[in-house]
Amino acid sequence: MTVLDALIRVQREMDGSIGFRCSCRVGMCGTCAVQVNRIPRLMCSTLVKTLDAEVVTVEPLPHYPVIKDVAVSLAPFFAQWRRAQAAFRPKHADAPTLAIIGKDSRFRQLAATKRDCITCGACYAACSITGMNVRYLGPAAINKALLRVLDPRDAARADRLKTLDQSSDGVWRCHTQFNCTAVCPRKIDLTDSIVRVKRALLRPGKALTV
Amino acid sequence: MTSSVGAVLKKYRWQFSGMVAWTLQRVTGILLLLYLLLHVHTISKLSQGPAAFDAAIATFSSPFFKCLEIGLLGVVVLHAFNGIRITLVDLGIGVGKQRQLFWTITVGMGLLVFLAGAIPILLFAVLKVR
Amino acid sequence: MSWNALEWYFQRITGGLLLVLLSAHFWVEHYMTAPLRRGDLTFEVIASRVSNPVWRAIDIGFLVVALFHGLNGVRNIILDWGRLGKRAIAAVNVALVLVGVVWAWIGITAFSRL
Repeated sequence: MTVLDALIRVQREMDGSIGFRCSCRVGMCGTCAVQVNRIPRLMCSTLVKTLDAEVVTVEPLPHYPVIKDVAVSLAPFFAQWRRAQAAFRPKHADAPTLAIIGKDSRFRQLAATKRDCITCGACYAACSITGMNVRYLGPAAINKALLRVLDPRDAARADRLKTLDQSSDGVWRCHTQFNCTAVCPRKIDLTDSIVRVKRALLRPGKALTV
Repeated sequence: MTSSVGAVLKKYRWQFSGMVAWTLQRVTGILLLLYLLLHVHTISKLSQGPAAFDAAIATFSSPFFKCLEIGLLGVVVLHAFNGIRITLVDLGIGVGKQRQLFWTITVGMGLLVFLAGAIPILLFAVLKVR
Repeated sequence: MSWNALEWYFQRITGGLLLVLLSAHFWVEHYMTAPLRRGDLTFEVIASRVSNPVWRAIDIGFLVVALFHGLNGVRNIILDWGRLGKRAIAAVNVALVLVGVVWAWIGITAFSRL
């Protein structure tokens, strides 16, 4: 039984009014992220018996406004997502041929480890910096921005790097606590992504070989 | 500030060694800055002549202060070895092994160096073994 | 040019330097100059070492490096708090530089008035 199964059962048999979100139930969509025994996780992927606890406490993800019970608004998460300009901006929008990224290219190999983000919001909830500093970009946004910065087809690198470089709320607010990496359900090494951006900002010419 | 400290204490299970390390680094850093203030103040007594300076040194040589000095060594060692660990992370070394790095480098190596420094101070300056 | 990146870089460089400088300082003060076993550091012992310009330069350099590392650390703690706007951050930077300069001055003049 997963935590999601348990909550659905509670809703059916005990209290029909409890509010929570779910969708795919197989750990792919990122909708059901909540805080279980004080760690952000996907409900559908958390087996109750692995929690090894007498009591299972399900709380809304911290750092987000609560809508109802354990359903939160991910508005802060996506506000940072937009600020980091997560959307791809092509260099050549009307190119006659496809821009090919070979399967042996370094970008492709690195991107493979960074692009699985399902925007569940767990990393932003786990980060103690976002808890103090509402303007901090957060791990997911930085990770996505890194992907774009490294992408040879993207046109907005300088712009993104400027946002990432801001002293009060850019990558420099990360202090490698690894909370984000510990909770990411897609096992993305988010701290590694953020450190790569820092190194890229130190040696601007080496952004692509980061 | 207190709301964030309170929030951190309440919300997170402190199983993430990264958070413990981050907090430790901050706390030890501030303590060391305060020590530096005291230290520069004491050393500046050099300009007041032998009597003033030697009196200050005498105050700080009592067993009580020597024990505090051992504590200072502990604070320095924690901050330094955690700093080494952080620098390794920033260089991309030890990706994926953070918890182990914290315990082996910060705590393990730190403890060794701490004992190497603390035991002589304890023996010669506190217990006055000759 | 990212000033923040340079600050991040130098925080680590100064950290490494402090490791070396502090170990040397500890050894010099507690083993070379006045071994723990033999007694305390006195005015004579320290003043004679510090009258050598090389030692004085090293000590002053040590202080400056430590002040950069420490006050920069304080800057990071303040920035993490995240409640400051651009102008407040600029003010904090100026304040920290001032504190550093005054602090270093006190340390430097302690030696020169010997």
